[in-house]
Amino acid sequence: MKSRHDWVIWIGFAAGLVLTFGLIVLPVLNGVWLSMHSAESFIATPHWVGFANYIKLFGNAEFWRATLNGVVYALVSVVLQLVLGVGFALVLNKSFPFRGIIRGLSILPYLLPTVVVGVTFQWMTDGSFGVITALTRSLGLGDIPWFESPSAAMASVILVSVWLWTPFVTVSCLAGMQSIPQALYEAAKVDGASNWSQFWHVTLPQLMHILSVVVLLRAIWMFNKFDIIWLLTKGGPLGATQTLPVLAYNKAFNLFDVGGGAAVATLGFILLSGIVAIYFRLTSEDRGK
Amino acid sequence: MSDKGDNRGVSRRTVLKAAGVAAAAGILQSPYVRAAKRELRLLHDQTTAESIKAMRDAAALYEKERGVKVIVDSVPSEELYPRILAGIRGGRPYDLTSIIFVAHMVSLAKEGQLVPVTSLINKYKWGKRILFPLDGVHYYFPWAYALCWLYYRKDLYAQLKLEPATNWNQYLENARKCMTTGASRRYGHTTPIGSNVATNWMTFGFMWAQGVTLFKDDWSLAINEPQVRKEAAAYLDFMSELYKVMPPGATQFGFASAMQQFGADQAAHAPYSGRMIEYLEQKAPNLADKYGIIPYPNSTGQRKAVNHGYKGILVYKTDMAEESMRFLEWWQEGPYIDFLHSAPLNYQPARLDIYDDPRWKADPLIKKHAEAVKTMRAFLSDDKLIIRSIDTEGPAPDLRPSKVFQSNVLAEMIQNRLLKNTPADACVDEAVTRMRQIIA
Amino acid sequence: MKMTTHIATKLSKRSRRALFGRTGIALAIAAIAAWSFFPIYWMLLSALRKQSDLFSAPTLWPRNLTLDSFRNLLNLTDYPTQFRNSLIVATSVVIITLVISVVVAYVLTRFRVRGKSFIVAGILYAYMFPPMLLAIPLYGFFVALGIADSLLGLIIAHCTLTLPLAIWLLWGFFKSMPFELEEAARVDGCTRLGSFLRVVLPLSVPGIITAGVFTFLLSWTDYVYALVMITSDEHKTLPLGIASMIGSFELRWGEAMAGATLIVLPLFVMFVFLSRFFIQGMSAGAVKG
Repeated sequence: MKSRHDWVIWIGFAAGLVLTFGLIVLPVLNGVWLSMHSAESFIATPHWVGFANYIKLFGNAEFWRATLNGVVYALVSVVLQLVLGVGFALVLNKSFPFRGIIRGLSILPYLLPTVVVGVTFQWMTDGSFGVITALTRSLGLGDIPWFESPSAAMASVILVSVWLWTPFVTVSCLAGMQSIPQALYEAAKVDGASNWSQFWHVTLPQLMHILSVVVLLRAIWMFNKFDIIWLLTKGGPLGATQTLPVLAYNKAFNLFDVGGGAAVATLGFILLSGIVAIYFRLTSEDRGK
Repeated sequence: MSDKGDNRGVSRRTVLKAAGVAAAAGILQSPYVRAAKRELRLLHDQTTAESIKAMRDAAALYEKERGVKVIVDSVPSEELYPRILAGIRGGRPYDLTSIIFVAHMVSLAKEGQLVPVTSLINKYKWGKRILFPLDGVHYYFPWAYALCWLYYRKDLYAQLKLEPATNWNQYLENARKCMTTGASRRYGHTTPIGSNVATNWMTFGFMWAQGVTLFKDDWSLAINEPQVRKEAAAYLDFMSELYKVMPPGATQFGFASAMQQFGADQAAHAPYSGRMIEYLEQKAPNLADKYGIIPYPNSTGQRKAVNHGYKGILVYKTDMAEESMRFLEWWQEGPYIDFLHSAPLNYQPARLDIYDDPRWKADPLIKKHAEAVKTMRAFLSDDKLIIRSIDTEGPAPDLRPSKVFQSNVLAEMIQNRLLKNTPADACVDEAVTRMRQIIA
Repeated sequence: MKMTTHIATKLSKRSRRALFGRTGIALAIAAIAAWSFFPIYWMLLSALRKQSDLFSAPTLWPRNLTLDSFRNLLNLTDYPTQFRNSLIVATSVVIITLVISVVVAYVLTRFRVRGKSFIVAGILYAYMFPPMLLAIPLYGFFVALGIADSLLGLIIAHCTLTLPLAIWLLWGFFKSMPFELEEAARVDGCTRLGSFLRVVLPLSVPGIITAGVFTFLLSWTDYVYALVMITSDEHKTLPLGIASMIGSFELRWGEAMAGATLIVLPLFVMFVFLSRFFIQGMSAGAVKG
């Protein structure tokens, strides 16, 4: 049913769409174009090499390790964010005094710029002056090797990432929980369901939709995260925390291999797209049922 | 019911206005207008408040004397090169920038972005290993050394009856003896081992003293030779001993950690340049007269080294290139010394005549620490002193040693030995293999 | 301890579980508050400490408090300028993003658009390319328009980050809003545009505020784009400013913590007041698949 001035809306829509995609698609295409060339820097004349960059990557152990690191980092971070986020939301959904303030506190980490968090964490774990160092020493735990071993470094980076971004999950869950009809809980209680049972059979299914989107968004963002890893470890030690974005940056800006860096980024993009496509296939099947 | 189309109209108008402003701004930024306005754009990486002020003062003075405005921007050193590239790629290159790594200069010169400064270079006499000509043409105009040596606590040495070390065993002994336990413990030595620029600059002095080199004159890997491999392995084993007297968290140490730990009496030895002395004066004045300086020793006591470091300026091929050269020349004659004074002990002059210049010597810190300045000057004329850095290895300025530097191969070699306890030979093996891949 | 167990055995199993449950919840709340807030507390405390205290053994409780770090921060750095720049950019980004995303999201849910799912999927793809390699081509594009190294360029760059998310959020929000209200307005003689402005917009305020808050955060905390787009000191934003402080040779911990504190404080205040809308909006806009 058309009506007057519909065209205003259509123009707004078209303009908005063009802007959104123009600003994103064009640089992406430029990046893919770069990946088919070899260039020592962003001002050098690129030479066409076709798929040579990609072939070199496929045979490079460092690339595969970076992919694995990225998957591990994204997976573990998201799982922890999910578990903690849902857990926090459950607790924060109850009534207790000063609930508003506590909720505010729990969301605070998300607001902080990554730079601030990276530096604060390094300050707290500094081997000579850090407060956590002092704490663990006084508790008899000695010195925790935050970044002194490859696996510890990955754990530390994951820890900071979880601290930073769990609030996103928490808030989404809290929001979702508001819309769960109280009647469902009443019915479950009448049936004699325990707290855990209520959670598992009432809360969780109702949160599924939100959680699936949250998980998708968080997984994409975690996989592409650059600044927190760069600020904390620069991909070290010994490449233990080097994920694909970090590798791409290193190649393009430090190793005089812009085409290689672009290729890494493109491959990461393709990998991620594949996973997202699978995700959509699975969820649309669910809906179809 | 009338429709309130006004909201839409207002936003349309504002959008058009904004676009108009953007277009106007674009015109104003264009090179024609810039040249007509006679503006120089300078980017430097010395981000301390004092240095920024010194540069801005020089800019203001130049505008007063020559009528050309100089816009000064500053950026941390790690972001210097990406910023330079972003400017060039985006069509708004700087006219003058500072530069650190020789390879960046090589890369920019290859792309035809730079203007030779040979005539200005020939005006002065320079210290050792500070000029980086490409086929006889100079693009790199050095404005300071950034050599790295070792500091030790003179008061502790006097107290414990220690002598400045000339070999590794003695150094380890001294470090161990200076250690204390307790709530605020003091460690023997501190140095970064992470994969970063700080490690590359501060931690390999011992390796250079031991005689390790990376490239031969034909660019094959000198470190691949059996004798050199042995020395590199010996260095790694020494570092693993030294690691035991270092504070925890060495993978996270950066430039500042060494100064902070030395100044807070948390480490008895620390590597740095003259900036350490300035730091002590500012933040730990009780230690400002209790430091001593030694170069890095080798295992036998027969050789010593300092780690090489340098800061330069590049002049770019923009339409203001001639003016840029004039500015550089003008700057070198006077305001340069004021700039050096913004960090008088850290900015070790590369021009030999400065050391005798009464204007330079008139700085209070330089006067107070005349001993240290003498030592620093002596480094430049000591024929027996090895001055090396990873990215200046090899027979000529080139990208290859820089790739070794930026890929942190040597830092990872240390991490392999120290964090994973891999035997030294295997570490060297892996490093050599990776270096081959990188420079291929 | 003895007293509690004595009482506990007297209580029935259910009330015992309830007692433990309540203490458990109290502990959980305390843990959540401590986990979220301790690093921020430490950052605040470090900012207020005397410089000499920072480098000696840390104490959990403040002793000598001074404003020295704040004074140094405001005098020695361009912090006030950076704060102003960040504020200008973030508010502009919010306004532009909201205007565009509201229109686009509304059209996507109400009109028949060809290739709708393609567009929606495309929005997701926009997130999957690493920002670092998007930034440089964008910068080159801006120079062609003459807006390089300007807040306007940064604003547009930030919109590439915020538009996909805002459209996504509002799309879900509008989808769950029933048609009936607008239909009623149309029946009363409003045009589609009229019903949009009079009925839809007011009802979607929670969703818009939510999208606005997320947008503000994305812009306020961005580091990567600012790093590439802004080259002059007078246009630097806060994350860039703090990173420069942390830069190579001087780690002024006190001033860095002071700067971080000044960023966080207003955000926290804003959040305490808006959290209600935030959660409300998220629940209404909860994306249902």
